[in-house]
Amino acid sequence: MKRMWALAIAMTVLGQAAVAQDGDVVSRLRAAGADPQFAERVGEIVTAARDEGLPTGPIEEKAIEGWAKRHRVPPERVTAVLEQVRLRLREAHQIMVESRVELRERHGETVAAAAEALGRNMTREQVRELVQAAPTPEAAAAGLTVAASLVAQGLEAGAAVYAVRTQLRAGGPPERVYELPSAMADMRARGATLSDVAGQIMQGGGLPMPGGAGAGAGTGSGPNRPSVLPPSRNPTDPAGQPGGNQQPGGQGKKNQGGNG
Amino acid sequence: MTEHDDTRYERMLAAYRDGLRPPGDEVRQRVMTELAGRRQGAAERAWWRWFVQPHTVRVRPMLAAAALVIVVGLSASVSQLLVDGNGAAIPDGTVLVQFELEFPQAETVALAGSFNDWNDSATQFTRHEGSGVWSVTIPLPPGRHEYLFVVNGEQWVPDPRAHAAVDDGFGNLNSMIVVGPRGVVRS
Repeated sequence: MKRMWALAIAMTVLGQAAVAQDGDVVSRLRAAGADPQFAERVGEIVTAARDEGLPTGPIEEKAIEGWAKRHRVPPERVTAVLEQVRLRLREAHQIMVESRVELRERHGETVAAAAEALGRNMTREQVRELVQAAPTPEAAAAGLTVAASLVAQGLEAGAAVYAVRTQLRAGGPPERVYELPSAMADMRARGATLSDVAGQIMQGGGLPMPGGAGAGAGTGSGPNRPSVLPPSRNPTDPAGQPGGNQQPGGQGKKNQGGNG
Repeated sequence: MTEHDDTRYERMLAAYRDGLRPPGDEVRQRVMTELAGRRQGAAERAWWRWFVQPHTVRVRPMLAAAALVIVVGLSASVSQLLVDGNGAAIPDGTVLVQFELEFPQAETVALAGSFNDWNDSATQFTRHEGSGVWSVTIPLPPGRHEYLFVVNGEQWVPDPRAHAAVDDGFGNLNSMIVVGPRGVVRS
């Protein structure tokens, strides 16, 4: 009987440890061994954001990332970045209020995506345009995320907004817009320049979606079946070249997967 | 009553008397053997009745509580394993994405990113035999993901094949991919 109870207690502790991973960010940081003062400061920033009605997910994720990179990033720099994230979230929230967009339950996700777009140097007008063009808050969040990503891939912001808006108006599930960055990467891998890509978009041609008509190598795979292309031996693409981190001893490979 | 009727009556009476006589040993043995076989078959077929008939179960409350705690603990642990299992299970709403890096000098390569709380040891790559190519395949939900490769547990390396390299706000770059509903294509 004693052994039974010992086993029961052990299982309970394990279960609690699993649940703790989903706890608040301060507890997670402390559990990871973070300095208590740093964890408390993060908690204050998160609380301040919550009191303003802002989504706290982006702040918490950045705090976790900053702690993971602690060997290269001092805590004070992390908290400064968290404050910047909070300010961007506030600006994004303000845009939503000004746009009088009914966001309801997906409000936080859309505000976070808008803040990300602002952080990628998209203008308030471009953010507002995409939010108003989206049929649902979920589509708005996806559209903003993708537009910011296309800009990060080197596309001019106006062309990125146009591409996303065209895709959103075409209908279909909102997740479909997430394929645009892969479509752009596919075009670039085939030798298209950024001007070529932007030109095709602005002339109404849009981006050839992976797996759609005319798409070749590097398209999606069949349902429920992971697909992996053989490693490419082509040189790396300039658009994906890293800048500030240490360079690898080799090069990355062409990757793809999908199970539908 | 005619003579014909008398003969018929005598014959019926004789048949009745024959029926009242005890059977011979041979007949008795044959019947008993058959009955024994039927009893055994019925007993073999009756095992399932245990499951449909009511039973009285004696329970020790302390033992039952301990068993319940174990079941709950096991279910929590198993569900965690399913999520964290390096792609062993594919949660709903995710697609498999393969990450690769050619780094012949590496002893270990891991993947740290927004999808695993930037844990630098949770998602380990496997080296392809006879080459310097490392890879790992994990399930990711559609959307934007930032990550880096961690070589030898200390060297944070970007993915040259990512969709883009983006400012991480801390003075360095993260690799970024956007996973679509059908996977991801990289340059």
